Amino acid sequence: MKLEFKINNTSKALELLPNETLLNVLRNNDFTEVKCGCNEGECGSCTVLLDGKPVNSCQVLAMSVQEKEITTVKGIGTLYTPHLLQKTFVEAGADQCGFCSPGMVLASYSLLKENPKPTREEILVALDGNLCRCTGYVKIVDAVENTAKKLHSNNLVME
Amino acid sequence: MLILFRFSGICLLRTIHLCLPDAGGVVLRDKNFRKIVESINMLHQNLEWFFPHTPEEAVKLIAAQGVILHGGGTRILKTSPKSIKGLVDVGKLNLNYIHHSDKQISIGAASTYDDVIRYSTKTKKLSLLAQALSEAASTPLRNRITIGGSLKDFPIWSSLYAPLLALNAQIEIADKHDKVISLEEYLESGMIKTKHLIKRIIIDDDPHLVGGVKRFALIRFEYPLFTVAVALRAKKKIISEARIYITGVKGRHKHCKRAEHFLIEKELTNDVIHEAVKHFNPKFAADYKYSAEYKEHTSKVFFTDLLQDLKGKL
Repeated sequence: MKLEFKINNTSKALELLPNETLLNVLRNNDFTEVKCGCNEGECGSCTVLLDGKPVNSCQVLAMSVQEKEITTVKGIGTLYTPHLLQKTFVEAGADQCGFCSPGMVLASYSLLKENPKPTREEILVALDGNLCRCTGYVKIVDAVENTAKKLHSNNLVME
Repeated sequence: MLILFRFSGICLLRTIHLCLPDAGGVVLRDKNFRKIVESINMLHQNLEWFFPHTPEEAVKLIAAQGVILHGGGTRILKTSPKSIKGLVDVGKLNLNYIHHSDKQISIGAASTYDDVIRYSTKTKKLSLLAQALSEAASTPLRNRITIGGSLKDFPIWSSLYAPLLALNAQIEIADKHDKVISLEEYLESGMIKTKHLIKRIIIDDDPHLVGGVKRFALIRFEYPLFTVAVALRAKKKIISEARIYITGVKGRHKHCKRAEHFLIEKELTNDVIHEAVKHFNPKFAADYKYSAEYKEHTSKVFFTDLLQDLKGKL
């Protein structure tokens, strides 16, 4: 069947089965920026924002989120027009193999939008559902901290 | 046999993941691959979804065989039995709220763990519950797991039950007739096993109650082996009421009445704490990692730590 979903500020009709997870539905409909890691809600590779909050899309049945706003990492910035947070991830060397990056970026985006000046501890809590296979956590946390500093020093708000 | 089948299914799924060129990125476009995954994913392909607008409608719908409630869906996806024929989504029942009135706090059953944590941070209320929930699962899962779903399922690793029992929580249930019962009665009467809809959780807003909760998990977001919760009320440092619960034990939960009775009318000194621990005797089952004795000993250490923490707060 085909149903309408709100993804990255656009309405899209997606092909799905009633028992499919949001992760499968997104990937089967070309949103391959959403990565599948453990498929058990442990690693956070499949993180998307649902009404602005990070969730594991592998632990969400797609049928239950038809009226919610879904944001994938391409919804905040693309390769050619990256978001400040994405640029800072690259500058800090926090992207590494890149598999966890979409989830890390979205979880960090959600945190900074709500709390523009997080402490290191708050960053760690916000990213507790995202595992980095390269174990490069220091650079990732640095990238979030650096983004917060840039926002503050330039009087910017997270958008 | 069923467990073996499921385990082998998960192993097969993992093996398939590893064999894919897109390191773990499962692209389900290949028809054969999709068939294999569907045979492992136990949720039925012809699953029917219902989106009722009232609790009464939802209760009628779940009366049918194989139809269950869907809150956040995390537990359904963990177990995903093929016997599920229909899911009744609670999203349109307006059960996602936290209200404060008449010295009581009502938490709608569709509120997520994160909703409770945010409410507690904002109002400084429900701190015992928020402490337990903020240590459960991970940030993205706490944004999905609902209070009602966790209460209905009561997995052995639940971080929710011990603090709610210590807070003497009540729940409102929509069945044939709506009723409010204590959480303890809900568990002991066996009602938890029946089909019903939990509408809300009611907790007294008691500023004089101090409490703490500790869960035993090796890493932060691992399922805890057990959770101990203590709530105490005191007048001039003398304990007038104590509520002590532990989950993860034999029979899932234990109301530690002996330790409670011991603490009444006493001041929480080091000697009293030392003696109270002797009255705290939860019984555990051994598992593949830990012996029952190890868990028992650890739970006593946690109980001691909790009472030590609370000593300064009374």
